[in-house]
Amino acid sequence: MNYQEFKTAVIAAAEKAGLQDYELYYATSESTSVDAFQHEINTFSSSLEGGVCFRCIVAGRMGYASTQELSMPMAEDLVRRAMSNAASLETEEKETLVSGGGSYRTPEKKEYPLPGAGELIDAVLRGQDALYAADPSVIDGCASSAAASRDTIAIYNSRGLDLSYENTSALFFSEAVVSDGTEMNNSFEMKLGDLRETNIPELAKKAVLDAKSKLGAGVAPTGAYPVVFAPKAMNSLLGTFSGIFSSETARKGLSRLLGKEGEKIASQLVTLTDDPFYGESAMPIGFDAEGTPTYTKHVIEKGELRTLLYNMKSAAALGKTSTGNGSKSSYDAPVEVRPFTMVLQPGTLTEEELLKKAGSGVYIDSLGGLHAGANPITGDFSLQSAGYMIEDGVKTRAVRSFTVAGNFYTLLQNIVALSDKAECRSMGMTGYASPAVMVEGLSIAGSGSSQGA
Amino acid sequence: MISRDVCERVLRRAASTGADYAEIFAENTLDHSIQMVSGKVERVEDAVIAGAGIRVYKGLRSVMASTVDTSEEGLLRCAEKAAEALGQGKAELEIVLTERLFGDIHPVRIVPASVPNGRKIALLKEGVCAAREYSPLIRQVTGTLLDIDHNILIATSEGIYAQDRQIRTRMMITAVAEKDGETQTGGCRPGARMGLELFEERVNPREVGIHAARQAVTMAGAGYCPAGVMPVAIDNGFGGVIFHEACGHSLEASAVAYGTSQFAGKLGEKIANEKVTAIDDGTIPNAWGSINIDDEGTPAQRNVLIEKGVLKTYMVDKFNGRRLGLPSTGSARRQSYAYTTTSRMTNTYIAAGEDKNEDIIASIEYGLYAKEMGGGSVNPATGEFNFAVNEGYIIRNGKICEPVRGASLVGKGSDVIQKIDMVGTDLELGQGMCGSSSGSIPTNVGQPLIRVSSITVGGR
Repeated sequence: MNYQEFKTAVIAAAEKAGLQDYELYYATSESTSVDAFQHEINTFSSSLEGGVCFRCIVAGRMGYASTQELSMPMAEDLVRRAMSNAASLETEEKETLVSGGGSYRTPEKKEYPLPGAGELIDAVLRGQDALYAADPSVIDGCASSAAASRDTIAIYNSRGLDLSYENTSALFFSEAVVSDGTEMNNSFEMKLGDLRETNIPELAKKAVLDAKSKLGAGVAPTGAYPVVFAPKAMNSLLGTFSGIFSSETARKGLSRLLGKEGEKIASQLVTLTDDPFYGESAMPIGFDAEGTPTYTKHVIEKGELRTLLYNMKSAAALGKTSTGNGSKSSYDAPVEVRPFTMVLQPGTLTEEELLKKAGSGVYIDSLGGLHAGANPITGDFSLQSAGYMIEDGVKTRAVRSFTVAGNFYTLLQNIVALSDKAECRSMGMTGYASPAVMVEGLSIAGSGSSQGA
Repeated sequence: MISRDVCERVLRRAASTGADYAEIFAENTLDHSIQMVSGKVERVEDAVIAGAGIRVYKGLRSVMASTVDTSEEGLLRCAEKAAEALGQGKAELEIVLTERLFGDIHPVRIVPASVPNGRKIALLKEGVCAAREYSPLIRQVTGTLLDIDHNILIATSEGIYAQDRQIRTRMMITAVAEKDGETQTGGCRPGARMGLELFEERVNPREVGIHAARQAVTMAGAGYCPAGVMPVAIDNGFGGVIFHEACGHSLEASAVAYGTSQFAGKLGEKIANEKVTAIDDGTIPNAWGSINIDDEGTPAQRNVLIEKGVLKTYMVDKFNGRRLGLPSTGSARRQSYAYTTTSRMTNTYIAAGEDKNEDIIASIEYGLYAKEMGGGSVNPATGEFNFAVNEGYIIRNGKICEPVRGASLVGKGSDVIQKIDMVGTDLELGQGMCGSSSGSIPTNVGQPLIRVSSITVGGR
């Protein structure tokens, strides 16, 4: 059966069960992707995925159940399972659903036709040509891929809410693999947007030059230096630690920021904004996963914590209103809290001036192992890094296989300068946009020891 | 799930444009989870995941299409899409399916899906309460009990028509301790390819909670780990993540076939210290990473990857095996029907050696004892890996001394496996989720206590 038929069946089952507050969340994703090895297509994939999540309130508590199978027996089963799950909960706050009739801003998004299979194939073959043409150090194993996807979301609830949204996107990805005969290295670049406007040779070249620049790289010496994070690296850090701004995390005692609204938590230079309508966002949207209207807000303004991010449940628990940051990582996930695009507002220095200010230190443009080397609860991190040494205010030799260690809460306070240009990167549904950032008080572990036996 | 006749018709359609291999992977999965926060049941969820992925190959090209519509019409449409994308040609395969029966070497006594929420909540509560009561320093405890009932069907143009039911259960407890305004965490996450008997009969939930709480409290009192290059003793169980990251991923055909592995072209060569014998074994009864058949229908195998330092085999799936000219080693895995299968690990470990634990510790004048590891990652092309030390101690003059926090280990796989120069006797496995191009899958890592003669320790 199709979704409309299934929806009717679920509503009938919910009404029959005497439910007053219930919601249906339906998401589909249709995607095509192509990748190439050498000068030929290696894999072509096309997928059609989707599912329905039903949630309902029983005695103030929200029960969830979801399915990818849309059938008559499943409609009744879904309602029964969600009610039974709600009955097992022991939470105290009363949950509510968003009422219909709200006003929603329409995101301005540059529309472009979704590329077909032929265009994707053509793009990756051009990508491979461009990689091999970029430099003689490029070897087999370099890869290009391109993908197009169409995502839809529909939310319906018994409080008069009935919203839907469709988003299309195209992505090009270039992986350079280079070798100098003794050592291999690789680097990635990707670009979201209209493939016809993506400068594939430039992207390929950028990846190749970055991979090549770190061939034969040394290790940074162990010690404490000023560190400049390139926008890409700063985006990775923001992405890893953005959970500390979630009220859901905070109310569970897993963030230090509970009740700190109005307090200074970062350097005066830091203004951090959550923008659901950010220009380069992969998915600008006017409502969140519960149907609350979204809006742009400062999370930190000039170092002061203005607000945490809330969904309906955490807002109810903490006596606030939802900031429209309810989020589902997939159709079957519970509603959590996430930013849309988190923008660290740029400063005034050019990147050259920033390096000059640092004088001598380390420039980090790549961080690895974020899911392991960073603890979002404590803020501690110790991360595999690559980049360049900064000597006399300029980038000099390439360095890799060293770690940078510190604590994210302290890092926010120790930001001493920001460059004037932010770069945006999407990680899943969330985007992060940061300029280059200079930080003091971090430790580098590389060659040699800071402490002997 | 889907009858043999329907599978034959769908495979014929998929192969209608000249494929030399066609495959259907269909699944029906029930995921269930219970989460507790602050001593209360915060979330109970279940999800039905159902769909099919169809793959066709022609030479070194592969096409994969997936759908949530597993009716015959839906599957035929999906097959048509795959056939069209492969190109234009004539059907060349004769498709006759025969049912393959594989013995189930992973018996399940208590099917979790048949157990009411209350009985599962009681088990989780035991663990969570034990952690909360462990010490006044414990500020928060979160606990999750997961069970997965993953039913798969694989039909291929080679004639395979096989099904498997993979039931897994896992408890995950995280404790947060606070001392002098600073917080630290501890965790314990045992799991198995087994039913609820895992926590009713084999693993005491209280011990799971106490383990997590003890670690958090220990680390809350710890100073930061000093940074630098030093010898490290890594303990058994989840410590095996070092081999998984430093070496395992680079032995997957998905990296080797494209030359993007530090170990490509090195079969038969000595790549590791002679103390190192490493095995990937999908046949360990009831182990978290075990399978009866892989996701291409090949029976699970025990593969000796490295024997006394010499590279013996890679982990190979059918498609990447074509490029390498190697047969499948039963290593094809995918998270779900929506992912394209590739070569992955199952239960991967460094085999027990002959060094005594006390000799390993005593051999280190100044270094780190990594009692428990966290997760990690690797770039197979360069072999650069990193992983976190969840519970570490300084070794001074051959003795384990004060705990240290915030440490990570980084290095290059090809380097570090030469430096594993002492291997203990007490092999143990630890459970993890491994993420890669074919999604997130359950894998075991493992080893006895080992010594790495020198490695970069990230700290401050």
